[in-house]
Amino acid sequence: MYRLALNMLFGDRAKLAMLLCGLAFSALLMAQQTSVFFGIMSWTYTPVHNIRAPIWVSDPMVEQANDAKPMRDTDLYRVRSVDGVAWAAPLHTSFLQARMQDGNFKLITMVGIDADTFAGAPAVLSQGRIEDLRLPNTVIVDEWGAQLMGRVTKGPDGKEVVIPLKVGDTFEVNDLEARIVGICKVRRAFTGGPFVYTTYDRTKLYTLGARRTLSFMLVEPQPGIDPAQLCARIEADTGLKAWTSETVIWSWSDLSLARNTFWWFWKNTGIPFSFGTAVALGLFVGIAVSGQTFYSFVLENLKYFAAIKAMGAGMGVIARMLLVQAFTAGLLGFGLGVGMAQAIGRAMIEKGMPPFVMFPQIFWATLALVLGISLVSAIIGIIKVSRVDAATVFRG
Amino acid sequence: MSTPATQTVAVRTRGIDMFFGEGETKVTALKQADFEANRGELIMLVGPSGCGKTTLLSVIAGTLTPQTGTVEVFGQRLDGLSQEELTTFRRKHLGFVFQSFNLIPTLTVLENVMVPLLIQGAAQDVAVAKARAMLEKVGLKGREDGRPNALSGGQQQRVAIARALVHEPSLLICDEPTSALDKDTGAQIMQMVRDLSRSPDRCVVVVTHDHRIFRFADRIAEMEDGRIRRVVEDASLLDTNHL
Repeated sequence: MYRLALNMLFGDRAKLAMLLCGLAFSALLMAQQTSVFFGIMSWTYTPVHNIRAPIWVSDPMVEQANDAKPMRDTDLYRVRSVDGVAWAAPLHTSFLQARMQDGNFKLITMVGIDADTFAGAPAVLSQGRIEDLRLPNTVIVDEWGAQLMGRVTKGPDGKEVVIPLKVGDTFEVNDLEARIVGICKVRRAFTGGPFVYTTYDRTKLYTLGARRTLSFMLVEPQPGIDPAQLCARIEADTGLKAWTSETVIWSWSDLSLARNTFWWFWKNTGIPFSFGTAVALGLFVGIAVSGQTFYSFVLENLKYFAAIKAMGAGMGVIARMLLVQAFTAGLLGFGLGVGMAQAIGRAMIEKGMPPFVMFPQIFWATLALVLGISLVSAIIGIIKVSRVDAATVFRG
Repeated sequence: MSTPATQTVAVRTRGIDMFFGEGETKVTALKQADFEANRGELIMLVGPSGCGKTTLLSVIAGTLTPQTGTVEVFGQRLDGLSQEELTTFRRKHLGFVFQSFNLIPTLTVLENVMVPLLIQGAAQDVAVAKARAMLEKVGLKGREDGRPNALSGGQQQRVAIARALVHEPSLLICDEPTSALDKDTGAQIMQMVRDLSRSPDRCVVVVTHDHRIFRFADRIAEMEDGRIRRVVEDASLLDTNHL
């Protein structure tokens, strides 16, 4: 009977197309919006992703990775003296204005790293050498920043063309020259400004001699020391806050700076509500369109289901036929929708924004929701068919 | 089937009362309806609209349960059976030919005929073989893979007959089988039903308004006001103006 149920479904191509459109649109909306949401949210803990270090230490009042509360430089020595610490390096992060050659200003995220160890330096440089940061007034800019801060000029066809920054170009930060010695590849940040790397000591100049410039400390545990245990020891010995750098936001670890950052943005911004609304909309549209279409499919076939009932098919068989039809349509709609979401996502990734991260959880959750929509549709149909009296087949 | 009398009787109803609604909206469809049909017989139920033909047919088919009275089909009492037992009974012993054919338009002719076998749980290949053989018997060989809508009315009703008989039911229930057909096609269909019903293990009950097909009946039961008024063997004894 299940093959016949499928043939009934595929036999009405117009209705099937309508059903698949509803389900695919719903799956697309849910998967795409959720993936963009997690993509954007993954930008919130970009510093932890870009600056690889097993342990981050901050002021105890810090709640997330973008929230730097400067500490005294002497705190670095206190951390270095904690038993189990192999090394600790200073890290500065701040938002500054860069003045370009054309007089235009751009917001940047300045990152100051330890000049001796280069702890926290970008892992991949597409131009230049990290060692050149030791030269006077030098910086490394990320690829997106090089494009964003590039010079706008008119091409041969009269259209505006951006000439990206390259090694050797300069700009100013607080009237001090910043000469580019490298272009790096790093993930973009939620806060918007491109990353400009320099040495920790030089950030004191670029920030006009700010009294405290130590935003975070990057710590490496000695071999065999568990980072979580060392975090507890650092907190106990120094009164500072220590975090692990794992970026699995699904983990239950309260020590993870990435996870805390993710959930801080979740709680304190309207982003989840905004995207949640779109996802809920996808779900409701899916239920409405698919439910309505499937119901209409059942209504059109009602007299045939009544005939099948009269011929001796129990409601169990008919219910299973409807479930097979609904779930088949659901799986096809899910495939189409998630396929489209992936295609759009890949196009997005190539363009660089908006970010798109389809976790396996998103894939499975979308599948569950689409099958849920199918189940609701099937149940509506089953209720309708169950109320049909088999005797109606004798009434013309 | 314990007495010789019951061995010849295929369908028997006694004292059937059937009403719908309550209070002022109560409509009585059957009043002490007594009916009998024999094995190997093609019997027609006739009468004016609203006389209770379709209701009695539904009671015999086990799709309606009467408020009072007994129903017996091939020795099986239907009154008192649960809905599940009635469903099982219909599945095994009944075949249906409907007024509007009720062929599923999105299935092929062959798949439509396979439906009763698949409901019974027959294997796919067995169902295909039996359905093909049945379609050949009703003269539709070569039309198996077409859709019902591509067939004429007479051909569609032949498919419906093939579907009704493919699982070899004891009782064939036909509801206005010729109402959508012209005279000649209707006669062909009835001839086919009559030929296929000629078996001591089978009985055909036909509800019809179509006096042109009365000649195919072994007996005709005339209904009036919810009960059987009379049963005749010769259709000429009926006043067809009132039917």
